Amino acid sequence: MKKQAKVVNVSDRAQRESSFAKEVLGPLVGMKLTISRMAQNLTGQISPTINYPEERRRYSDRYRGAHILTARQDGSPRCVACYMCATACPADCIYIEPGEHPDPLIEKVPTRFDIDMLRCVFCGYCVEACPEEAIIMSKESEICALGREETVWGIERLMRRPELKEFGLGFRPNEKLVDSVLAVTPEAKPAIRMAGRITLKENVEMIPHVTFEPQQD
Amino acid sequence: MPKLTINDREIEARDGAMIIQAAAEAGIEIPHYCYHQDLPVDGNCRMCLVEVEKMPKLTPACATSVSEGMVVNTHNERVKEAVRGVLEFLLVNHPVDCPVCDQAGECRLQDYYMVYGLHTSEIPLEMKVRKRKVIDLGPMVVLDTERCVLCSRCIRFCDHVTGTGELQFFGRGDHVEIGTFEDRPILNPYSGNVVDICPVGALTSRDFRFKCRVWFLHSTDSVCAGCSTGCNARIDHRDGAIFRMIPRRNPDVNKSWLCDEGRLSIHEIGRGERVRRALIKGRDGMQAPASLGEALDAANTGLREAARKYGGAAILGVGSASATNEALFLLARYVKGQLGGDQLEFRLDSEDRKALEPEDKILRRFDKHPNSMGALALGFAGDEIGGIEGAISKAREGKIKAAVILYYKPLVTRETDALAEARIAELVSLLEFSVLFAAHKADWQTDAGVLLPVAAWTEEEGTYTNYQSRVQAALQAINPPGDAQPAWSLLAALLEASGDTSVWSSSTDVLSDMKQAVSAFAGIDLDSVYSQGALISTNGAL
Repeated sequence: MKKQAKVVNVSDRAQRESSFAKEVLGPLVGMKLTISRMAQNLTGQISPTINYPEERRRYSDRYRGAHILTARQDGSPRCVACYMCATACPADCIYIEPGEHPDPLIEKVPTRFDIDMLRCVFCGYCVEACPEEAIIMSKESEICALGREETVWGIERLMRRPELKEFGLGFRPNEKLVDSVLAVTPEAKPAIRMAGRITLKENVEMIPHVTFEPQQD
Repeated sequence: MPKLTINDREIEARDGAMIIQAAAEAGIEIPHYCYHQDLPVDGNCRMCLVEVEKMPKLTPACATSVSEGMVVNTHNERVKEAVRGVLEFLLVNHPVDCPVCDQAGECRLQDYYMVYGLHTSEIPLEMKVRKRKVIDLGPMVVLDTERCVLCSRCIRFCDHVTGTGELQFFGRGDHVEIGTFEDRPILNPYSGNVVDICPVGALTSRDFRFKCRVWFLHSTDSVCAGCSTGCNARIDHRDGAIFRMIPRRNPDVNKSWLCDEGRLSIHEIGRGERVRRALIKGRDGMQAPASLGEALDAANTGLREAARKYGGAAILGVGSASATNEALFLLARYVKGQLGGDQLEFRLDSEDRKALEPEDKILRRFDKHPNSMGALALGFAGDEIGGIEGAISKAREGKIKAAVILYYKPLVTRETDALAEARIAELVSLLEFSVLFAAHKADWQTDAGVLLPVAAWTEEEGTYTNYQSRVQAALQAINPPGDAQPAWSLLAALLEASGDTSVWSSSTDVLSDMKQAVSAFAGIDLDSVYSQGALISTNGAL
């Protein structure tokens, strides 16, 4: 026996079910969430946006912002100009000129270390490639300049930036290093968390005992 | 010709060859530090241990000569185990400072560790024997005794090649280090070679030190243009800048060596201001910049005018012993074929005689030009002129009115250079019209009617003929500055403008034409020009 297909007349059913209430209220019901959110926003109960730049979000400690060159105890760069970062860099934005270091055990020191922030893709490969933890990243994301020349950051700017107090450290090989390696007083801890292991001039004055200790493997 | 088996492969070796040589010729690599093709065998590093059937112990491949029916195994477990052990011992006191070591990237310790080692070091860094670092050994060499594997290649080089014997082992046990007596500098004129033959980072180049990591460099095969020996070399460059020149092995010319002067001659190209744009002398006697096309037009018109007015005999072609064969060939063709001139000259300072005179017993020759023999073979030494002085007196007498002149600054400098340059300057000042091809700027060039910017050595492809009359190719490493072009290509443009129907798109095209047109070059094989060089017959002339 053949089964006969049931025919549904859509227009009939639509006609049957249509009513004024459904046509007007239907969309409103559908927009319930939107409308309630709007009401909450208008009354100030919740706010998905913040008043940037007065207010800022807290970025992850692995945020990859502008780079930092860390320093030795005497304030000279920890970098040994080995070019591992420049080799790993996919954007070819790191330019290094090495020079002779007076200490034969260190041998090499950069006389120039430029990062072209416009070319940089902030991938963090340089940080991972560095054998000396000489380059780490900050949470500084606001890299604005009035000209292209200013976007090439030299060694001075990469090493000493007062802005870091505001932004803090970003992606670096060992995030716990700040607390564990350095003997720090509890009240200095927040400041160190911001300044990290870098001996910024400002930070040295603020927390005089924070200097870089060579890490023993 | 003994037949032997290496790794199940039948190989025929030369009589008296060592296993390592026979294997290398068959394309089988045996790891080694102390063995070097052009140095006496020492057999101290033990990296080349191989198993030879019926020999009770493993034997060093560099010090065991081949014999009929020998069965050698270079990569079974027993050999690998031994080599791994040797490598581990060599690395026991190595500081592992690869990131700051200039040798990194071309270091045999790194290479062999990745192939044969991959062991974990049993010795912590602080237990290693510390030795002296960064010792200044003169103008070419920096010594780091910690990185040394004591292969003695450098010692043997100074003993057997230069015969100066500056280097020696000092100390005993694991305190052995290489050095010179009281750290005196190595001052022999071939000291840069110890850096090349050092398989590790113990000897690094003072000149190249820290300039660039080697993995960034691009290499181009070239020929040193520092003297008439024509040593085969490799130019390492990056982003249009030349960083170093190191020897390329050619057993018939320079073996594996290069002299220090030649090695440093790469810096001479960058020294002084370059000619970047063509200049044409106007009616007011002042030179004004012009495009290459305008300048070539002006040169062609001026020369043809002079040829028409004074006849072909008043036109002189002055080649250069630093110019390529191709440029000289086209210059001769232009002056003789198009201007009707029959006078060619290139000798500023008796290069033809000096070219064959050795300065020492190893490589250097008195003639500091790469292509004197090429200029001679192409007929540039006109006896009726007799050198540049003859040309000057003829110009004084008014017999020579115009000239096409190629002039390159020598790359290895001598006191006589200033005199040679002064002679060219005098000639230019005496002429009514001159077309000067120059790479570097000089005051006297304001006298030239047309100044054309040419590419210097390393900036053009071309061949040079060395003192043995061996034609060797130097490839282009970097681009010439500004409007500069290879001299052969400018001369080709001049030839085309004056009606020559030949078309040359590369220097190889010119060389093939030269092979047909010049009897001396007839026998050369173009492929060998680009590898070991091809000898030309010296008694032929244009």
